[in-house]
Amino acid sequence: MRVLADSRVPLCAGRWRLGFLVFLFLVFCVAPQVVAQQIDYSRQAEVAPDEETIGEGYVTPEVQHPRSRSARRQLFDVALLALALALAAWLALKKRSRVGLVWLTVGCLAYFGFFREGCICPIGSIQNVTLALFDQAYAVPYFVIAIFILPLIAALFWGRVFCSGVCALGAIQELFCLKPLRVPPRIDRALGWLKWIYLAVAIYYAVLPAVDRDFVICRYDPFVGLFRFTGQAWLLILGAAFLVAGVFIGRPYCRWLCPYGALLSVCSRYAWRSFSITPDRELDCGLCADACPYGAIEERRAVRTSCFACGRCYRSCPVHRVEDSGGAAPNPNAGLPSVDRVAR
Amino acid sequence: MSGKYSRREILGHAARGTVLLGLGGTAAVLATKAHKTYAWVIDAEKCVNSKLGVLGVDVCELCASECVITMSAVRAVNEFSQCGRCYICPAYYKITSAVGPDGLPSEKVCPTDAIQRKAIGWIDPDDPANNFYDYTIDERLCNGCGRCVMECKEPAGLSSIRLEVRHNVCLDCNRCSIAQVCPEEAYDRREPVTT
Amino acid sequence: MSSVEYRRSGSMRANARFTEELRGIAIGSDDRILAVGDSRVVVLDPSGERVREWSSSLPGYCVAQDLDGRVWVGEFEQVEIFDEKGTLLETFKDPERLGLVTAIGLTRENIFLADAGARWIHRYDRQGEFLNHIGAQHRKGGFHIPNGAVDFVIAGDGILHVANPGMHRVERYKPDGEYLGYFGRFDGQDPEGFPGCCNPTNLALDREGRVVVTEKASPRVKLYGEDGKLLQVLADEGFDLHAKNMDLAVDSSGRIYVADNVTFEIHIFAPVTAEGQR
Repeated sequence: MRVLADSRVPLCAGRWRLGFLVFLFLVFCVAPQVVAQQIDYSRQAEVAPDEETIGEGYVTPEVQHPRSRSARRQLFDVALLALALALAAWLALKKRSRVGLVWLTVGCLAYFGFFREGCICPIGSIQNVTLALFDQAYAVPYFVIAIFILPLIAALFWGRVFCSGVCALGAIQELFCLKPLRVPPRIDRALGWLKWIYLAVAIYYAVLPAVDRDFVICRYDPFVGLFRFTGQAWLLILGAAFLVAGVFIGRPYCRWLCPYGALLSVCSRYAWRSFSITPDRELDCGLCADACPYGAIEERRAVRTSCFACGRCYRSCPVHRVEDSGGAAPNPNAGLPSVDRVAR
Repeated sequence: MSGKYSRREILGHAARGTVLLGLGGTAAVLATKAHKTYAWVIDAEKCVNSKLGVLGVDVCELCASECVITMSAVRAVNEFSQCGRCYICPAYYKITSAVGPDGLPSEKVCPTDAIQRKAIGWIDPDDPANNFYDYTIDERLCNGCGRCVMECKEPAGLSSIRLEVRHNVCLDCNRCSIAQVCPEEAYDRREPVTT
Repeated sequence: MSSVEYRRSGSMRANARFTEELRGIAIGSDDRILAVGDSRVVVLDPSGERVREWSSSLPGYCVAQDLDGRVWVGEFEQVEIFDEKGTLLETFKDPERLGLVTAIGLTRENIFLADAGARWIHRYDRQGEFLNHIGAQHRKGGFHIPNGAVDFVIAGDGILHVANPGMHRVERYKPDGEYLGYFGRFDGQDPEGFPGCCNPTNLALDREGRVVVTEKASPRVKLYGEDGKLLQVLADEGFDLHAKNMDLAVDSSGRIYVADNVTFEIHIFAPVTAEGQR
C-alpha cells in the first residue's frame, strides 16, 4: 500500500495506529527478555585461593581424569569371539555335534548377551564402520574393527558359524526354536530382501550429519532390552513377540531382518569349507530338509547363504553322511562316481 | 573334470580372494585412524546442573538413573584449582539444614557420602573457620547424581564441580541411553581428555 | 537505639552506561552517586540523571571521593585519581605490594586500600607511604574471600569494619591492625546468620552507624546493630539471582544505594522513622 507524498491519508490512521501500538507493546514485553538473555554469566576463575595463601607447602592435587579404557577387557572380548567362532566351526563341521552347539549357544548368550548386555555386537558395528569410512572426524578403535571383521572372515572360510551359536541375538532365538514350521521358499526368498533394505537404511542413517544421525540397528534392536531387563515397552513387547513367533518360525529376525546377515550371506556364499550334501551319498529321504528350520536345504542341496550351521541336519540324517565338502574321500561301497555338486 | 583345479574351484578361490581383499582393505583403511579414541563426553557448559545462568531448577539426576551400567559411568569431579576451599561448602553441606553445635550444618548433600573434606595447608589451632579445606569426590562411591554440581554452581559456589563420563567404565554404546534423554543435549561423541 | 528503618523507594538504571560489570558505587559531593565498572566512571545525580562520565584506563572495582573532591578508582594493581571533571591527576601504584583494589577508605590522615590479591587491607599515609597491613597479623592467609573481593568501611571513630565472607563474620580492626572482635555466624535457616559459603559480601554504615550488608545466593540486604543483632532485612528479592558482590553506598540523608551488578540497577532504600516517612 503505497502512501503518496502529497496524500492526505495520515500514516497513523486506523489499523496502522493499532498495529504500531501492538508493535510497541510487544517490544516492551520482549525487550527485557532479550536484554536478560544477553547477560553473560561468566565464571570468575581467578578467585580460588592460591597455594601460597593456603600455605605449608600445599600443592593443588591433580584432578582425577578418567583413565583410558582398559584394553584388557576389549582384548579379552575379541579373543573370546575368535575362540567362539573357531569352536562353532569345529563343533559344526568337524565334530558335527548338535549338543555341543547348543551348549555353545547357551554360553555365548550368557556372556555376550546378558553379561556384556549385548554391546558391542558385530551387527551394530556395521554403522560404526560405515561412519568411520565416510566421516573423517570419526574413527573406530581396533577392537571394533576386529569384531566387525572376524565373523565375516569366519563366514568366508566356514560359512555362517557366527550365526550358529556365537551371536547373542541369534542365540536367544535359537533356544526358542522349538516347533519350527516350514516357510514356503517363495515367501522366504521375498522376505529375505528385507535385510538388504534394512542394511541400506542403517547405512543411510549412520552417515547422516551428527544432528540427524541415528544408529537404527541399536535403537530398534528387539532383543537388547531383554538382555538388559529394561527398555522401551513397545520394543520389549516386539522382542517377546519375535521369540514367541520364533517358537514356530525359526529365527525370523536372523533370516529376514538382520543386516549383518546380509553381509554374512555374501561371504558364506564363497565359503571354503561349509555345509554341503554329497549327492552320491545322500539317501534322498528328505529328513534333513524337514529338520532344517531355516530353509537352508532346498532340493536336497545345502543353501550356504541361509545355513546357520545349527547342526540339526546331522542329527536327523540316518546315515550321518552329511559332511563338509571338499575333503571326505568317496565311499568305496557306493559304486557310483563321486559328484561333488554344491548348489547355490 | 580335468586338471588339478576345476574351473569352479578357481572361481571359488577368486571370489573368496576378492571378498577377503575387500574386507582387508576396509580393515586397513579403518586401522589408519583406529588409534584415536572416541567416547561420550558431557559438555559442562550445556549440562543443566553446571550451566551458568540457570538457577532455581531442580537438579537433573538422569546421568545417574539412565546409564545402562548399574553404577553409572558418570561421576562428579572437583576441579581443585578452581575450588574455593571454603570452610562451609554448599556442595558438601546442605546449607539450608539446621546448624549443629559446632556451627556447621547438620546434613550433607551427597546421597552416597562420596565427598571427603580435609583441612589443608596451615591449620589454625584455635579457629577451624580460618582454614582451607579440600573437597575430594571418591570415584568409587559417586553415582553421578549431580546434586553437588548444582550446589556448587555460581553464584552459590565457584562452579568447580562438574559431571564427567568415565570412559574407561563407559561402554560407549552407539545409542547412549543418557544422551537420548539429556534435556540439554549435552552429550557428544568426541575425543575425550585423558591427561 | 535508633528506630530508623528502611523502605525500598525505587531504583535507577545505570545499564545505559555499563555493558559488562557494575562493580562499585560510592557517594560523592552533593550526594551524587559515583558508579564504576567496565572501564568507565559514571556520575549520577540523586534523581538518576547522568551528570558526567569518563573512562579509566583499566576496569574499575571500587570508587571513593575524598573531601577535596578527587575521585579515587580502585583497579588492578593501581588506583587512579581523577578530579571532579574526570581529568586524571595521578596513578597510585605500589609494585610488589598492591594487587586488585576492591575497596577504598579515605580519612584525613590515611588511605586504606583493600587488596583482593593479598587478601588484606593496606594502610598508607596521605603521602603514599606504606604504614601497616590490616588483617595480616590476626589472620594468617588474610581474609577468606572466595568471592574475590575484600570490602570494608570506616566508622566515624576510625574503626574499620571488614567483611570476612568465608568465615561469615564482620570483623573490626583498629587502623594499626589491632583486632577488636567480630559479629556474625553461619546460618542457613535463621535470617540473622549469614547463609551459603561466603557471606556477607559487602557492607556499609548507615547514618546511625549501624552495619548494612549485602549477601549473594540468594541476594539480600540486611541491617545489623553494633552487637550483631539483626534489625531489618531490607530486601530479599528484587535482585537478579546471580548478583554477587553488590556494593553499597549511603548518602547524607541516609538513603542506601545497592548496586545490582547483573542488571546494572542501583536500588534505593529510603529511611523511615516509626512515625512515617521523613
